[in-house]
Amino acid sequence: MARKCVPFTPFEGEFKRSVVALVSNAGVHPKGGEPFNTEGDSSIRLLSQEVSGGELMATDAHYDTSDANRDINCIFPIDRLRELAREGTIGGISNKHITAGFNKNLKEVYEVTAPKSADEMERSAADLVLLTAG
Amino acid sequence: MRGRPTVLITVWPEESAVMRPPRALHPVGLKLGNSLGGADQRELQRRILLDALDLFLAPPAPGKIQERQY
Repeated sequence: MARKCVPFTPFEGEFKRSVVALVSNAGVHPKGGEPFNTEGDSSIRLLSQEVSGGELMATDAHYDTSDANRDINCIFPIDRLRELAREGTIGGISNKHITAGFNKNLKEVYEVTAPKSADEMERSAADLVLLTAG
Repeated sequence: MRGRPTVLITVWPEESAVMRPPRALHPVGLKLGNSLGGADQRELQRRILLDALDLFLAPPAPGKIQERQY
């Protein structure tokens, strides 16, 4: 995706004033919500600022999700992030987090999932984005 | 501002390196499905999260995946 250059965005702020978002393609979604298609899925899920780890699960056939489904923070550290916000280490957690599922169709990831996710982040309160992949 | 600073946490550095992430942390010794540790390992999860956040402040090394032992 970045064969010629690395799309590096500098950070010149302070953590205690910065809002952090999580973006993950580890198949994380709300319990009881529509799971990702484990054969390949270009869709994304938007998670709210208030979402807690206990409300989330992971559906993915390409890694062992047993720990993640006991404690989603293994792969999607939403509760740890909230603790950092409460103690003032970071300024807050984003009003929007994004999750996606497995997809071996990289063209689809590049043309659909990635731009959709980037657009959502552009329209979020996030200053910094932490990416996790299972 | 167009674009957001990112840090990737990856336990599959060979695969992630192809994408040349702007900033990335490889928690050595952890496996897919446990990139921030095991279930209920709150301290380990927190340490890895804080180490990942530290990379936002580290000298720029775009495309390089930083390894840390846990």
